[in-house]
Amino acid sequence: MSRYFQNIYDTLSTLLTGMSITWRHMVNIKRDNVTLQYPEERWPRPERNIGFEHQNYNVIRSRLHVDIDDCIGCLKCERACPVDCIKIDTIKAPTRGEDIPNVKHTGETSNGTKKAMVVSRFTIDMSECCYCNLCTYPCPEECIFMVGGPNSSKHPIDYEFSEFERKDLIYQFAKKLSTEQKDGLQKPLPEAKA
Amino acid sequence: MTVDALINWFATIGDFPVLAFILAVIISGIPLFLVMALNAMIAVYVERKVSAFMMDRVGPMGQGPGLHAGKWGLLQTAADAIKLLVKEDTVPESSDKFLFKMAPYIIFIGAFLGLAAVPFSSSLQVADFNVGVFYIIAVGSIGIIGIVMAGWASNNKWSLYGAMRSAAQIISYEIPAGLSIIVPIMMAGTLNLQELIVFQSGTIWGILPNWIIFNNPFSFIAFFTFFISAVAETNRTPFDIPEAESELVAGWMTEYSGFRWAVFFLSEYANMLVVSGLAVAAFLGGWQSPIPGLFNTGLWGLFWFMGKLGFLIFVMMWFRWTFPRLRVDQLMHVCWKVLIPITMINIFGVGIWKLIFG
Repeated sequence: MSRYFQNIYDTLSTLLTGMSITWRHMVNIKRDNVTLQYPEERWPRPERNIGFEHQNYNVIRSRLHVDIDDCIGCLKCERACPVDCIKIDTIKAPTRGEDIPNVKHTGETSNGTKKAMVVSRFTIDMSECCYCNLCTYPCPEECIFMVGGPNSSKHPIDYEFSEFERKDLIYQFAKKLSTEQKDGLQKPLPEAKA
Repeated sequence: MTVDALINWFATIGDFPVLAFILAVIISGIPLFLVMALNAMIAVYVERKVSAFMMDRVGPMGQGPGLHAGKWGLLQTAADAIKLLVKEDTVPESSDKFLFKMAPYIIFIGAFLGLAAVPFSSSLQVADFNVGVFYIIAVGSIGIIGIVMAGWASNNKWSLYGAMRSAAQIISYEIPAGLSIIVPIMMAGTLNLQELIVFQSGTIWGILPNWIIFNNPFSFIAFFTFFISAVAETNRTPFDIPEAESELVAGWMTEYSGFRWAVFFLSEYANMLVVSGLAVAAFLGGWQSPIPGLFNTGLWGLFWFMGKLGFLIFVMMWFRWTFPRLRVDQLMHVCWKVLIPITMINIFGVGIWKLIFG
């Protein structure tokens, strides 16, 4: 008989212990919360040492980036791409090597090369990119590169480039030109020939 | 606002007794259904949040309508409802189609009828019966017919197991629930819920509100035995063996989807409302203020009743996310060997108490 009451007492006391634990967790949710709201909050990148400085990597495969001011529109990267995820449109500049402020075109690259083309479209579909790095080798101005690693001085590394919609993975590097701006660039052409 | 009051009011306008009766039932039924739907909407959101917080998660979150379910996930219930409504409504080929389609509505009717007698405040009660307590206990048993019907008609072993377990459980736990509710009835000497609540006005020694739970040690125990039985009657964890996910898929609801399942869901939350409402009315002073003599008039009654109701529903959620599920034999053990003897002793003790103290 005393066993019976002991059992009831044990049941109630252990149930109350359990309830106090869940209550404590519920009240201290601000402190104990383990969920990060991913796109808004991110995990801190751990400090690590694998024997290399970021600068000393030979090559790194991460997100592609283009310094569009250095691009001369030679299309070499577009041809090198095995999956055709790079798309470039160019318009012949009216005068070689001159700035055109209204389309944000700079005449010279940082290497001093005079640009003959205005790049009106430079898109890389990162959902198609196979991270082969083949586009970076032919670039005469070294303006297309994988971010981070040896290029971390030019652009910090980016591990997470997730997007809410698929079309946002098509990276637009060139300034979007309106039809009038494109027409304005193309008009002088027949005059120059004449 | 009871049905009777409405019928009397219609009688002052003209002589149309049948139409007046139908109108009165419909007019008082619609807010009842709204209460039911609103309760489910709020309770689902709160349950998600409570479960998340107790597990150190954040639950449904969002920065605005669109990709996420609203700010802090406030639109989560709406998203759930839309999902349930657009889901395919499947009826198994080999099921008993008529019973399969009937079952959700019978369960719904059971929950809905029980809600009709819940005294939300001194004036807000759809039907003020002389036998309110008895009525709620009685219509609470209608749901089990629907559950057995659903389990049998599904023609599925999990459903049948779940239905059989549910039948065994609810029939067993109605006994301690009924025996516990006898304690306040003995003390107040009435089955009418309003009179039961009025009996609980005033104070004990000028400090405690004169609620039946505080009145004597036997009624204090009776509240807990009643609440445990009530949790078991609503098929919620730790007594959710009829729909034990890890053993029976979803128990008697296994074959249901879409709107029919939503009706089950609505009824489950409405049942929580009914049993909590009965517990509040019989033990916790109903719409009486916890501070004796203060804020006791008008709409404050509704506020206090809803507050106590919300607290009891929260405690049910607290149970759910804390306790492990009982085995079938443990369930029967708790009912027949623990709760029923305790309630029997309670009734005896309250009788003695009434003889000695009043």
